[in-house]
Amino acid sequence: MQLEGEHVFKGPREEVYAMFRDPEVLATAVPGAQSLTKIDDQHFEGAMNIRIGPVSGSFSGKVEVANEVYPEKFTLIVEGRGAPGFAKGMGDVELIDQGDGTTLLKYSGDVQIGGTLASVGQRMIDSVAKSIIKTAFETLDKALEARLAAKAGSAPVEFKAPTEAEFAAAVTKDMASGLSKVAEVRMLFYVIPLIVVLVIVAYLLSH
Amino acid sequence: MAGRVFGQSIPRNEDPYLLTGQAKFIDDIELPGMLHAAFYRSDYAHARIKKIDVSEARKLPGVIAVYTAEDFGEFVRPGPLQVPPPTAIKGSIFHARPLMPIAKDKVRYSGEPLAVIIAENRYIAEDAMDYIVAELEPLPAVTDLEKALEPGAPLVHEDLESNLAALVKQERGNYEEAAAKADVVIKKKIYVDRGAGAAMENRGLVVNWDDRAREMTIWATTQAPIPLRNSIATRLGLFEEQVRVITPFIGGGFGPKIMTSQPDDVLLPIIAMWLKRPIKWIEDRRENFLATTSERDQIHYAEIALTRDGIILGVKDVFYHNTGAYDPYGMTVPLNTQTHTVSCYEVPNFYTEIRMVFTNEYVVTPVRGAGRPEGVFVMERLLDYAAQELGMDPAEIRRRNLLRKERFPYPTGIIGQDFVEGVLDSGDYPETLRRVMEVIEYEKFRKEIQPQLRAQGKHKGIGIVCFTEGTAVGPYEGARVTVGANGKVTVATGISTQGQGHFTVFAQIAAEQLGVDVKDVNVITGDTGHFHWGAGTFASRGMGVAGTAVYNAAVKVRQKALQFGARFLGVSEDEVELCDGKVCVKGDPSRSMPLGEIALKANPTRGTIEPGVEPGLEATAYFGPPYGATGAGAVAMIVDVDPETMAVNIEKFAIVHDCGTVVNPLLLEGQVMGGVHMGIGNAFYEKIKYDENGQLLTASLMDYLIPQATDMPKEMIVEHLETPSPLNPLGMKGVGEAGAIPTPACFMQALEDALYEYRLQIDETPLNPSRLWELVQQAPKK
Repeated sequence: MQLEGEHVFKGPREEVYAMFRDPEVLATAVPGAQSLTKIDDQHFEGAMNIRIGPVSGSFSGKVEVANEVYPEKFTLIVEGRGAPGFAKGMGDVELIDQGDGTTLLKYSGDVQIGGTLASVGQRMIDSVAKSIIKTAFETLDKALEARLAAKAGSAPVEFKAPTEAEFAAAVTKDMASGLSKVAEVRMLFYVIPLIVVLVIVAYLLSH
Repeated sequence: MAGRVFGQSIPRNEDPYLLTGQAKFIDDIELPGMLHAAFYRSDYAHARIKKIDVSEARKLPGVIAVYTAEDFGEFVRPGPLQVPPPTAIKGSIFHARPLMPIAKDKVRYSGEPLAVIIAENRYIAEDAMDYIVAELEPLPAVTDLEKALEPGAPLVHEDLESNLAALVKQERGNYEEAAAKADVVIKKKIYVDRGAGAAMENRGLVVNWDDRAREMTIWATTQAPIPLRNSIATRLGLFEEQVRVITPFIGGGFGPKIMTSQPDDVLLPIIAMWLKRPIKWIEDRRENFLATTSERDQIHYAEIALTRDGIILGVKDVFYHNTGAYDPYGMTVPLNTQTHTVSCYEVPNFYTEIRMVFTNEYVVTPVRGAGRPEGVFVMERLLDYAAQELGMDPAEIRRRNLLRKERFPYPTGIIGQDFVEGVLDSGDYPETLRRVMEVIEYEKFRKEIQPQLRAQGKHKGIGIVCFTEGTAVGPYEGARVTVGANGKVTVATGISTQGQGHFTVFAQIAAEQLGVDVKDVNVITGDTGHFHWGAGTFASRGMGVAGTAVYNAAVKVRQKALQFGARFLGVSEDEVELCDGKVCVKGDPSRSMPLGEIALKANPTRGTIEPGVEPGLEATAYFGPPYGATGAGAVAMIVDVDPETMAVNIEKFAIVHDCGTVVNPLLLEGQVMGGVHMGIGNAFYEKIKYDENGQLLTASLMDYLIPQATDMPKEMIVEHLETPSPLNPLGMKGVGEAGAIPTPACFMQALEDALYEYRLQIDETPLNPSRLWELVQQAPKK
């Protein structure tokens, strides 16, 4: 199953890429990440907490970063397992310099989920995944703004990651506003958050 | 046929207990020292087992034991096969792969048990699952029935050459010759997707091994207590008499509870014997979806050949049937499909072929309807396509082809689930159609009401279909009827009860014979300690088979009562009769003896009857028909479709049903309505969905929709035609599945009629509003 989307960052491509390598930023972008251990430059092991409607629990997983072409693209291979089931996915992330000082991030991937996550959480996955991605990008927008301001030496922009409670509220709001109408996107959207989180953490640790 | 109580609408004997919360269900059972079980199940649908580490789980306080396949040693073997292979059908192929009690080496469906945890309570048992580490190597899964048979498809059972589980071909006449002569041949691909039994109460098991008495007592929610006892005793090397299976009140069966060798049935008695402590397992709803069998899921390549006048010359149906990862229940479901595809019509040439397929999904076994709805759906859809093609009215094309009354008994030439050639014993199919058209005012709706509604832009449609229901199959059931010294009657039979009303209808049969009050008949079902021969509750056979055994036993007791009563009263047998719980001298009511007193004296120890006479006012009888009795009926419905939302409102539903002699019209109406409810679910709500990796996506009642009371027809007309079956003395036929069988086909026809301007040809069930919307969008427009 295919999953794809995009997001425009208001900053140059190199800065966006650098941000993705900044552990402090990335670790805060998605809530629930518990730990990440570097195995080598391309491989990481980590744990995160997941809550999809009635399904919750901790996942342990592996992340592999492959096909890295600075500052254009990289591929993430993620595999997570835990009491709530499993997720297995592969995603390509591409950064495109739009020539106007902004950067277009495109992602596309293929994900499988199983266990309780699929059998009970399936109907929520779509909404929750989209919310996680949306929140993560919003957080990264602010982080990027803060980084650029710091670099320019101008007045510091306050950057604060959302708390888990704020995140939960955002998910509820998104679900209520009917974000989940697109049937085809179902499962993949769930793993994207997982991928994003794990990638972020992987990058954190790798640098 | 109606008598004093037989044939009357008598309220249910069991209802006071059920309605006031006094009835005992399996989860009400608490035993001293009882432990609780939970199953650790595979998340993967198809995987090789590398290692299962339960060492940490075993350390959790409160955990008594954790077992994996290697702990069960020789007990880990497939089977047994619950229904024999179809060897009666020439040339048939069947690969028996009965269920494994626990996954060993390989996982074949998501939800297959990998470990069993026994703990002080269920909470601890469930918590312990988090400490189990299963190393599984995922394999590609097969879920598509057609792709599963292609070369190179992953194999569910690697010792087989392909995923073909069975191949059965049957033919009467010669279809190809008939098609060559036909004016019209219509070919269609038709899907019938999967639905659950979805009983209100899930399954459960409580096992108690009394090590000093060397006796095992099992409380189970089974539809087949005697086969369950037999298989457990055999596996454990015990005598059948050492194992007693008791079914408490059960909140619905609907088919899946017929299974007797599911993992829990096999493993928990073994563990209870090892630990010498009682064990309880109550299935939760997710487990019920994952690991209790479900049904339907067929793909049909169907053809019908007709004359220009709409007379059927032949039907051909080649279909794929999903059996899931194993086939423990043989071929009952697809064989029912074969026997029900053409059963109420005159179809001189019929070719039918089953391709049963193994997939990485849970096992398919009968669910109310059990293959019949699929066959009827295919046939009724074919007739609708033909009616559209020929410009005929759907009712008319059916009228022209229904079997005439004079044709009975009608041998069908097709061997069914009971491995004998199907014979339609009796009925009047054209009359059921005529009456259903009358009660729903078919002509008036078509000619007067509908044109006006359409002129107003409304989308109201009518559907009308016919069906048969093969019921009351053998091999046999038995019953024992005993009059107690208290003058009351006990009826014990081997089948079990899941809400059908056996406590009332069996009581009516006995009460009618013995002249007692229905409330004074105590019916015992599903307790092998009380009656230990029989097959179980399936195929709408409770009344027709066990009910007849009750009748036969009650007749014997009646004869005994008259014989003994006459003797004690000092008159000859032809001078006495039964009157109000007594044996009376005809014409002299002052000379009588209550049944209780006769029962007390009917024992040689009291010196009142000679030694050598079978003691007691008691008799046991068995009944087995040569083949099953076939019920039939016609249904019609009027639906109102909102073309904006595709919400469907069933305004009126009519069924004229013939199940032979009616024992209790009140209960019969309930059975029919319950079946219709399930049929509506199978048409527009209930769908079990697996993804392409074998992951079940509908394992909760959030995602698996069951119609609510508000989704039922606003008006429901249930009428009966009574054509007694010649196959049993009371003329009864079964009815348990009737309503579920024709409803999806009728629903689709009514939808097509409501959305007439789109000229839909619906070829799948179930639908839902969004799927119907898609079909309308794809339609060739007005």
